[in-house]
Amino acid sequence: MGLGSLASRTLKSSRILSSQYSRFRPIVTKPGLQSPDASSAAAAAQPEPSPPPPKKPVGGARFEFTNPDDAIEVFVDGFPVKIPKGMTVLQACEIAGVDIPRFCYHSRLSIAGNCRMCLVEVEKSPKPVASCAMPALPGMKIKTDTPLAKKAREGVMEFLLMNHPLDCPICDQGGECDLQDQSMAFGSDRGRFTEMKRSVVDKNLGPLVKTVMTRCIQCTRCVRFATEVAGVQDLGILGRGSGEEIGTYVENLMTSELSGNVIDICPVGALTSKPFAFKARNWELKGTETIDVTDAVGSNIRIDSRGPEVMRILPRLNEDINEEWISDKTRFCYDGLKRQRLNDPMIRDANGRFKAVSWRDALAVVAEVALKVKPEEIVGVAGKLSDAESMMALKDLLNNMGSNNVWCEGTGTSPNADLRYRYLMNSSIAGLEKADVFLLVGTQPRVEAAMVNARIRKTVRASNAKVGYIGPPTDFNYDCQHLGTGPQTILEIAEGRHPFSSAISNAKNPAIIVGAGLFERDDKDAIFAAVEAIAKKGNVIRPDWNGFNVLLLNASQAAALDLGLVPESSNSIESAKFLYLMGADDVNLDKVPADAFVVYQGHHGDRSVYRANVILPSAAFSEKEGTYENTEGCTQQTLPAVPTVGDARDDWKIIRALSEVAGIRLPYDTLGAIRSRMSTVAPNLVRTDEIEAAAFGPSLSPECGQKIESTPFKAAVENFYMTDSITRASKIMAQCSAMLLKK
Amino acid sequence: MAFTLRSVKVPPNSASLEEARGRVFDFFRQACRSIPTIMDIYNLDDVATKSQLRSIIAVEIRKNTHVTNPKVIDMLLFKGMEELNNIVEHAKQRHHIIGQYVLGRCAQDLDTKDEGASDFLKNFYKSNYF
Repeated sequence: MGLGSLASRTLKSSRILSSQYSRFRPIVTKPGLQSPDASSAAAAAQPEPSPPPPKKPVGGARFEFTNPDDAIEVFVDGFPVKIPKGMTVLQACEIAGVDIPRFCYHSRLSIAGNCRMCLVEVEKSPKPVASCAMPALPGMKIKTDTPLAKKAREGVMEFLLMNHPLDCPICDQGGECDLQDQSMAFGSDRGRFTEMKRSVVDKNLGPLVKTVMTRCIQCTRCVRFATEVAGVQDLGILGRGSGEEIGTYVENLMTSELSGNVIDICPVGALTSKPFAFKARNWELKGTETIDVTDAVGSNIRIDSRGPEVMRILPRLNEDINEEWISDKTRFCYDGLKRQRLNDPMIRDANGRFKAVSWRDALAVVAEVALKVKPEEIVGVAGKLSDAESMMALKDLLNNMGSNNVWCEGTGTSPNADLRYRYLMNSSIAGLEKADVFLLVGTQPRVEAAMVNARIRKTVRASNAKVGYIGPPTDFNYDCQHLGTGPQTILEIAEGRHPFSSAISNAKNPAIIVGAGLFERDDKDAIFAAVEAIAKKGNVIRPDWNGFNVLLLNASQAAALDLGLVPESSNSIESAKFLYLMGADDVNLDKVPADAFVVYQGHHGDRSVYRANVILPSAAFSEKEGTYENTEGCTQQTLPAVPTVGDARDDWKIIRALSEVAGIRLPYDTLGAIRSRMSTVAPNLVRTDEIEAAAFGPSLSPECGQKIESTPFKAAVENFYMTDSITRASKIMAQCSAMLLKK
Repeated sequence: MAFTLRSVKVPPNSASLEEARGRVFDFFRQACRSIPTIMDIYNLDDVATKSQLRSIIAVEIRKNTHVTNPKVIDMLLFKGMEELNNIVEHAKQRHHIIGQYVLGRCAQDLDTKDEGASDFLKNFYKSNYF
């Protein structure tokens, strides 16, 4: 009762206050406002605040001191920080944990210094310095948050926005635009520009890169990327001042296989992805970190999906494998995941037409045929995009049925999986940077593994490495000597008759890269023996440096050879009565007998479906959790980004269910169980993100008595854009191969 | 005029259980004979087979085997005739047929097939995520 009256009294009084005095704000005075002396006295009376703890480098950046004695100390905003000699002011601030805004500076490209957004104040300097270009001198005092630096940033931003069109609602880069973010963080709130903005005509760079050159802020990142990393001098700046335009001068399309990376690099919406144009905003997309399987490099990617659909693919940073770049095939193959998908089990009826059936019926039919056939007539082929778990299950199933004719396509007729160094990239992709002589035997890295090619180019640029190439004439984006076209040149180098052999013997870290296209040849043992002779002579394989590398073509080859998918007989297809194709589209099916029962388990209706009797739909790489091993032996895992299509199942689950229906149940039910089975066969396949180096060297390799044939080497990949079932089903890849391949 | 003809022919009452039994069998035969028409009207070729529909009708009839009173049987037959007429004269729609008669029954006749299957296989047949 009493409390209630109190409450009502306060309410009444506050109501009066709010009604009568709502127009007036109560004026309150503070002691600090009354006289400045009083405030400073009050402040001085407080104890000195303890110095704040040092900040961590921006983005967790790592830096190494090549020479610990050469460390310099600079002061960034009052914090002392030790940096290696030769670093720029911007890098010093990054190490100190201060992020400086920039547009034209990129850590992997050369320094341009033309955007002026990175201006910071340095003591004893008359004007603010461009921190990206200024080397940090010892004892420098760098200040990044003074009024001068802030005014500089606001001014630069104002200038940049003057000629920038008001395209944010229709620009694809909205939401992930550097200009938007930095103008919010560092720009002033109003502009003073009242004249007409300039506009620039759009350039046609091909079916992949959409250009709206009016939005370009002339940071020249794309120009530097094209000349330095991609090696093509397609782009350049024309004109001066406000009439500057980025373009190709002549009407050229960007044909480089790394052209899609300029989309990531461009800080504004001038260069965007043409297939992704107007499709989605970045905040409605869910990113899933997975691995790319279109080639053997295993580039780390992030699949952005919206609901059940993959909207785009972006690169993820991985210093060892792909740095920050991905090839065009990786980036734009995602629309092949939506076309020609198999979603129902199908059985071919008597008319030859496929009929959709239930899983029960399909597995029953397959099991029935499998049990009737003799064990030596059962053959299994794993595909290019198969993950390690499904290959393990396939081998187990076929072994339990009594057959040992399982192999992975691309490994040739009689693969040798005994010695790991013979099918891996032993110096690892990052280790290629240390090499100073490259010998490319029968491999065109530009089309087989674009990221390895980028790494070779980086090495050639940085240390002027020599590159010798043996194979059919192709073009390279670095200086390369074409030594020959066939195995004869290998013999010449091995015997020392060729001038290049002196280059190899004089090199500190020679690297030999053999292409996996040689696995298809009949004389591959002899060729490998010759290459190993070169390696021995040139001291390529040493305890501290192993330069003998094999560049694989498919994402599944390394894991297949690690798991032991080696067939018993080399021509088992001709006598097969039961053929199990697990995603294998590049197998030559002409030799399959007409009464053979072919089961195709895959996610796309590509080539092998036409001969199949039963179709079992499985999940693509973006829909399953699978383990893949790349060409250097690094195990990586894909994660499901979107749900499976229709009635499709995971590959290994189909094989496990088939085994149960056939009566020979495999002993694993869950992903963990099949992974522990994998670890008994190849323990490196469960240790993700680790490279398992080959244990033995050529000392154990057997003598080879084959003669080398003199047929010249063929190109392993004819069409870079269409190599597997996903890319062949993709419309973007079809456009690229029509427009961008050199005729 | 098929719809009017069917409903008119309802005799007053069955005299005994045997007569009611006879009427039940007549009703079942009539229903089975109209199955091809039903499959044609509602395009059920992809969804069910004739034998499946027959067994569904049989199951529905068998649900009432415990009934002994002929009058009740007559009443049930009347309701059954009414439902059959509705279906044949297209007063229902495809989703009614599928939802009321086809779905959920398929699992019943497949219980026998899944005797020896493990949990993995049962879950595998249902969906990919388990």
